[in-house]
Order: sequence, then C-alpha cells, then structure tokens
Amino acid sequence: MAADMRLPTIRKPVSLCSGERKDLVVPGDVITSDTGFMRGHGTYVDEDKLTASVAGEVQRVDKLICVRPLKTRFNGEVGDVVVGRITEVQQKRWKVETNSRLDSVLLLSSVNLPGGELRRRSAEDELTMRQYLLEGDLISAEVQSVFSDGALSLHTRSLKYGKLGQGVLVQLSPSLIKRQKTHFHNLPCGASIILGNNGFVWLYATPSNEEEEAGGFYTSLEPVSLSDREVISRLRNCLLALAAHKVLLYDTSVLYCYESSLQHQVKDILKPEVMEEIVMLTQQKLLEQEG
Amino acid sequence: MKETPLSNCERDFLLKAIEEKKRLDGRQTYDYRKIKIKFGTDYGCCFVDLGLTRVMAQVSGELVAPKESRPNEGIMFFNIELSPMAAPTFEQGRQSELSVKLNRQLERCLRNSKCIDTESLCVVSGEKVWQIRVDVHMLNHDGNLMDAASIAAITALCHFRRPDVSIQGDEVTVYSPEERDPIPLSIYHMPISVSFSFFQQGTYLLVDPCEREERVMDGLLMIAMNKHREICSIQSSGGIMLLKEQVMRCSKIASVKVSEITELVVKALENDKKARKAGEKCGFAESLPQERITALKVGKTPVEVMDVTEQANDIVQKAESCSLTVHTRVPSPLVPVPGVGQVGQGQQTTWGLEEEEEEEEEEEEVDEEEESDNSSEQDKKVTKMEEEDSRGDVVEISDSEEEEVVILHPETADKALKNTGSSFHQKGAAPSKQKRKK
Amino acid sequence: MAGLELLSDQGYRLDGRKATELRKVQARMGVFAQADGSAYLEQGNTKALAVVYGPHEMRGSRSRTLHDRAVINCQYSMATFSTAERKRRPHGDRKSTEMSLHLKQTFEAAVMTQLYPRSQIDIYVKILQSDGGNYSVCVNAATLAVIDAGIPMRDYVCACTVGFVDETPLADLCYAEESGGVSSLALALLPRGGQIALLQMDARLHQDHLETLIEAAMTACKGVSKVLDQVVRQHLEEVSMLTGE
Repeated sequence: MAADMRLPTIRKPVSLCSGERKDLVVPGDVITSDTGFMRGHGTYVDEDKLTASVAGEVQRVDKLICVRPLKTRFNGEVGDVVVGRITEVQQKRWKVETNSRLDSVLLLSSVNLPGGELRRRSAEDELTMRQYLLEGDLISAEVQSVFSDGALSLHTRSLKYGKLGQGVLVQLSPSLIKRQKTHFHNLPCGASIILGNNGFVWLYATPSNEEEEAGGFYTSLEPVSLSDREVISRLRNCLLALAAHKVLLYDTSVLYCYESSLQHQVKDILKPEVMEEIVMLTQQKLLEQEG
Repeated sequence: MKETPLSNCERDFLLKAIEEKKRLDGRQTYDYRKIKIKFGTDYGCCFVDLGLTRVMAQVSGELVAPKESRPNEGIMFFNIELSPMAAPTFEQGRQSELSVKLNRQLERCLRNSKCIDTESLCVVSGEKVWQIRVDVHMLNHDGNLMDAASIAAITALCHFRRPDVSIQGDEVTVYSPEERDPIPLSIYHMPISVSFSFFQQGTYLLVDPCEREERVMDGLLMIAMNKHREICSIQSSGGIMLLKEQVMRCSKIASVKVSEITELVVKALENDKKARKAGEKCGFAESLPQERITALKVGKTPVEVMDVTEQANDIVQKAESCSLTVHTRVPSPLVPVPGVGQVGQGQQTTWGLEEEEEEEEEEEEVDEEEESDNSSEQDKKVTKMEEEDSRGDVVEISDSEEEEVVILHPETADKALKNTGSSFHQKGAAPSKQKRKK
Repeated sequence: MAGLELLSDQGYRLDGRKATELRKVQARMGVFAQADGSAYLEQGNTKALAVVYGPHEMRGSRSRTLHDRAVINCQYSMATFSTAERKRRPHGDRKSTEMSLHLKQTFEAAVMTQLYPRSQIDIYVKILQSDGGNYSVCVNAATLAVIDAGIPMRDYVCACTVGFVDETPLADLCYAEESGGVSSLALALLPRGGQIALLQMDARLHQDHLETLIEAAMTACKGVSKVLDQVVRQHLEEVSMLTGE
C-alpha cells in the first residue's frame, strides 16, 4: 500500500483579507483609565483602570467594553442553535454536553412529546424518559434561558429540533461559526447541515419526506445511498480544512469550499497542500461575492 | 471524612476579630502559643505541644547500603504521618495534599539545608551507612502542624544517639549502649519553621495560626530559619498574592521567633541531659516559655461564666491532687486545659524559673503582694470547694424524681449566686493584675 | 560537584551567560487542536508542553465542586526520557505531586476562577527535557496555554529561578548550576502589580541577602514576561488576520 509521506515544512498561513488593524490586547493590558465605560466580558477593573483579562480583540458597544478571546468555550445566548450529546438522564431532565463550561439542561417540560403540544407531563413520562433520549444520543436544540451560574437550559419545542439520527458530527471551535438567521441549511449538493453555535456541526442526508413525526424522536434507519455518504464525507473534510485555516463557517463558505474541492478526491482534501489550495479558492470566491 | 465547613457567622466573626487585631485565645498578632517540649525515655523521642497541637517525633537509625550516587553519605528519611487520631478529616494511608505539602516542607527544611552531617553517618564507603529515619506523628491537630513538626523533628534529631560502631577489617561491630556510649548526630544548625497566615488578600498577618484561623485564612507563608539568621527554606502556599515587602517583614519576624524557639529547644535538651545524668527517672522534661505580658492582658477582659466553671473544676482537681501547696502562683485566669500537661506539673523545674528572671525585676515588688493575694485566693478556693461539695450532695439527692422540683429551685439559685460571686472574685483579681503590670 | 566554578572571575557562568542573563526562550501557542488551549515552551534546554481543558463540567468526584468558583486541577509529569537517568514513574511521586500542588496554587492566584462557578479547569504540563528550572518553565508554558484557552487571568504569571553565588544573584539556573549546591529561589510573579504568586526557596541563605535575591528574581520574571508578551501578541495577530471578517 502506498504511504503518503512529507517532510515538515513551515507553512505560511494563507490569507487574502488585508487585515486592518484591530485593537488587540493581552491579559493585564490596560484598555482605558476612563471611568466612564462599563466593564464587559473579558475585562476587570483594577485600581479604577479597565484591564483586559483575556487575549483578544476589544469590542465596544456604546459604553460597554468587552474583549473577545480568539478561542473559547461556548458562551450560550438565548436563541442559539446548539447540537449536543446527552450525558445523563436525571429526574425530569437530561444533561446535555454542549461544549459549554457546564453541562446544559434539557427539561422534560421543554421537549415535545408525541401526542400533541399541550400534553401534560405525567409520572409515566418521567419513567419513560430513556425511551425518548438515551445517554449518548445527539440532539439539536435551542437555548431557552441561561442560568445564573452560566449553565444553559435548552428546548426542542419545534419540529426542526430533536434527536439526530444518521449523519456525521464535526466538533470545531465555537468562534468559527458565523451567527446567522438560520443555522439549518439544505445545501444544493445534496446534504443538509446544522451549524450549531456551540461549534458542533451536524451533517446529514437531506430527508426526502418533509413531514416528520412530531418532536423528532423518530429516527429513520433507512440506508443512506453511497452518493449521499460521499457528499457528507466531502463536506466533513471541507469543514475541517476551513477550520484549520480559521475561515468563518456559514452556508456560503461551506458551499464554496465544497465546490472548490470537487476536483480532488475526498481523502485528499486533508493533505496540507490540497487544503491550502482549496481554502485559497474558497476565499477568492467569497471575496468576489462580497465585492 | 469530609471536613465540615465553618459556619458563615463563625467565619465572619473570626475575620472581624482579626481585623480588630484580636485573636480567639487572647494572643497578639505575632505571639506563639505555649510550647512544651518533652522527651520520652528513649533517645530520639520527642513530644512537642504547641498550644493544643501535639506532635511526636521518633528518630531511629539502621545500617543500610548507601545510594549509588552518594556512596559515602548517610541517608535521611523524613515522614509525617497524619493519622485520623489528630483530626477526623485526616485519612489513613492516603497521600493527601496536606501530607505531601508537610512532608516536602520538612524535607526541604531539614535535608536540603544540610543541617545534619550526612558524611559522618558513613560506616563503610559504598557498603554501609546509617539511615536515619524521622517519623513525625500528629497526635492532635489544632493548627500550625508544620511548625510543631519542625521543632519536634529537629529536637528529636538533637536528642538522638546512635549506637557506636567499629570496623576491624571487613567486620562491622555495632555496640549496644551498655558496651559503649551511643553517639549523638553531628548537627550543624537547627532550622525551625515559622508559619505566617494571611487574611483578606494579605492585608492581615498572623503568626502561628490555630486550627480555626487556618480555616479562614487565604494563604500561608512558611519560613524556616536557624538562629544565625540563615534562611533554610521559604514556601508560600494557598492562592495569595504576596508583595516583596511582606516577605521581608515576615523574614524579620521569623528571625526573632526562631531565636526564641531555639533557646527553648537548647534549654529543653540541657534539662533533659541534666536529668539523665542525675539518674532521675528521665523523660518528660518540660519547658514553658516565659509568661508574656500579653498573656496577662487577658485579665482585663471580663471573664465569662464558662471560664469560671472550668476554673472551678480545675480547682476541684487541684484540691484533690493536693497540689495546692506546691502552686504558689496562679499566673493568669487562662486555665490549663485538663488532661494536657499534667505530667510533671508538680515538679517545677529550676531552669524554668531562670527563664523568668527577666521579668523578675518587675515582679519582685509585687510578688509579696501577690502571695498574700494568693493566700486569700486559696482561702476562697477552699471555701468554694466546700460549696462545690455541698452542691454535689444536693445533686445526688435530686436523683430521686419526686423531690426534684423542690430541690432544683434552691440549687439553681445557689448556682446563680455562686456564679456572680465567683465572677466578682475574678473581677477582684483582675485589678490586682493590672496593678502588677504597672 | 566540588571545584566547579559557577561564576568565573570575568563574570561568566558555566554556559557563558552573564549573571543576570536569561536562557533563550522560545514558545508556540495553540499546538494541539483537541485541547481548549495548549502551548509549547523551550527555555534553554528545558522543554515543556502544557495543555488546558476547560472550564468544563466537573469530572470524577462531584464532591469537589465549589459553588462559588472553578476548581483548578493540575498534573505535572516528566517524560521518562527527560532526564539523564531514565525515570521509572513519570508522575505520582512526592516531588511531582508537590509540583502539581504548586502549579495549582500559582494558577488559583492568577486565574479568575470566580467567573466559572461549579466548573473545573484542567492544566496538564509535561516536561519533555529537563535542564533546570522545571517549575518555572512549567508555569510559563501553562500561562500561555491558559491564555490560548481564552480563560480570564489577572495578568501573565511568569516564573524564574534564581541562584546565589559569590554574593551575586544568578538568573535562570540550568541543571548544572542547580545541582552544584547553589541556594536557589523559585518565584512566580504577576509582573504588572509585582505580586508574588508563589515563593519557594531551598538551601541556606543569610537573611540579609534575601532582598537582593528576590529583587533579582523579580527582574528576571519581568524579562520572561516580555518574551511571553511578544509570543502572545504575535500569535494574536496571526490568528486574527485569518479570521478577519
């Protein structure tokens, strides 16, 4: 079997954006000694001086000053779409791992159970919680509220959320996901994607019948065609390539990357030089589109 | 067992008290608790009491093969054992964070400072050297284990005698103590650890924290020094931010404390030596530090009822042991807690008095006064004791249920009366102390 | 190592450095993709790798959870091939347990743990090659890893060891100097406020010299902090260029 070998080389990061100077700070840097500003995330006040506590970019919204670190765990906000994994089944709630600093909570009362939206949750429902979601199951959900300690409360009270069946999960940094109106996309290439705000991305074959059962606890186990699987694998490798080069992920960038990668085999996409080429092409396309 | 957390009000109270420069046991910020050093009948066995903290150190030696890297040096081995006997939170047989911390600090303090001449422990180079093993056992935990352990360990090492050996050809003979006098270790200097605890992000500093204080402290700084003002190790612990000035201040305080403690240790050793020479039933030489003026200050504070009952109990005990005649002085209303330091309390050692010489000048004038005071006090005590006895009778009677109601009433009244009486007696004693101080 | 001259008459040390000169510090941030934060740091011949996971939900025993701040969990280990003699146990002995404790303590002082109640932050540090100053190299590497993970800190934590020979403080000791019987002092500093997060000293030193030694250590730490600062800023610029919207 032919093995692929290469010597280590220092690769210049590819970048087409002419980065205009941003305000970058490191921990301990004084941002301002003006007391008129408000202290946001990533800052603290030391002797009346607003000081950065993380390394990143200073963002100002009116009087509020925050420092956004380049890379961090997921800081959920109400309305965020997340993809998560059930880690624990407790009384009346599931614990969900969402790449956040604490496990998120999915209450039994905030899921749609089969049999109508306004059904009462009975004691039997509590006992059969495992039938709906089991440890290890993947779900898509939306952040309903944030607890005082930073833990998230999720809900799946919409037909688009619920248990995830067959597909591929890609775990990336949350800061690479671009916030958009919708995070569910049916890509024209034949697969669908859920770009969770928490950096978990779910790739799956676009379902044929749009009318699924309520709550989405039903998972189709029909075999996925080879072509679909190939598309999904290609998308997965494209996502990794984009992430390696720190390109923001949203439907257009993923699609462009997919298109640019078509001339290569799926397994070749992750080779550094191919990756570079594809990302370069993608960025060009993105710039053209912008301009 | 997991440590039960301190209640919030207790925590607040302690911190508040520290803010006001007051400590639970009436000490000043830089005061040590009473240190007692005692020896066991064997060489190399030492007990150290630091307030209620009590540790025991036992030194032992055996002949072993040396380490390959150091063929002509003896081996020192230190081990601190935190048994659940000292505090319920200590677990047997598990290396807790605290035990690692203490062990390493003791090693650093005694081994790395090279206070013991390890080369003199070599018998046959590369084949036989002495391994000196110091086991420190915590018997009671009331804070500041490190200081107590370091004092115990170094005192025990100074006290230890190893058997004499001789080499003839390839043969190594170890002599029993009857054949040849055992030999002390050669010790260059005596490093002693002093702990400083910091509160409120280093704003407040206390020497020799007790258990309660340790539980509310933010961090600890341990400085080990010898009397030549050489620092042997420094270790900060706990998440505190220190400033250089604080470290410097602590090192100055440490040097004073260390010289005091070293003196005490030396005296204790001398005392033990004398006792052994005199052929007395040796052991338990006891050393008390001089009575500090600050300790007398306690007299000013109004004495609580709790104390009085305790004192009353104490008096009963004393009366029973007939030691009243021996004790001519009652140093302060701080009563020694029953059960501790009872051994050898009767025989006051001579050097202990010597130590108080410095104060004597002040005290001499008052002494007579005091003595008369004391005699009257004793009278009172005797009378009180009788009262106590009579009370005891009453209680016994009250065992019969029917009469209970009848008897209880006069009893409580009696008690109340007695309490006021005795607290009055305390107040009476307090001014006399103030006088004495002037 | 008797007879080894640690400081020549001309004022040079064994490896040709001046008394206050640091070893060359090289570092990279973000070396692993899996971890939340990671860094690799070389200080002379001492090389360390630091990895940070978290803050995340408590793993293992739940009883250690703190309701008002995050728990910091540190593990220090030395690769079996890091020293001249092959080490049998990479971690778990008394010395590494103590080192882990010290690391934990250092970062508890610097990381703003109160922002993450009931969470846990894991810091794993591995020494790949040991040539003196293990503690300080670990602290410096871990600092970079924590910054890379985007965990808020009050300031950099920089550490350095300092020795004392012939009335002269020597900055950043190498192994030959450390084992040459020099009294050494390890100090972790938050350079901006001059606060000492950890202070540790071995061997004998007269009290009067303590101040000069601490002073020298603080200067050395500030030197390290400058290097770290450069590394972080460069990394920051590179990455932010890429993500530039």
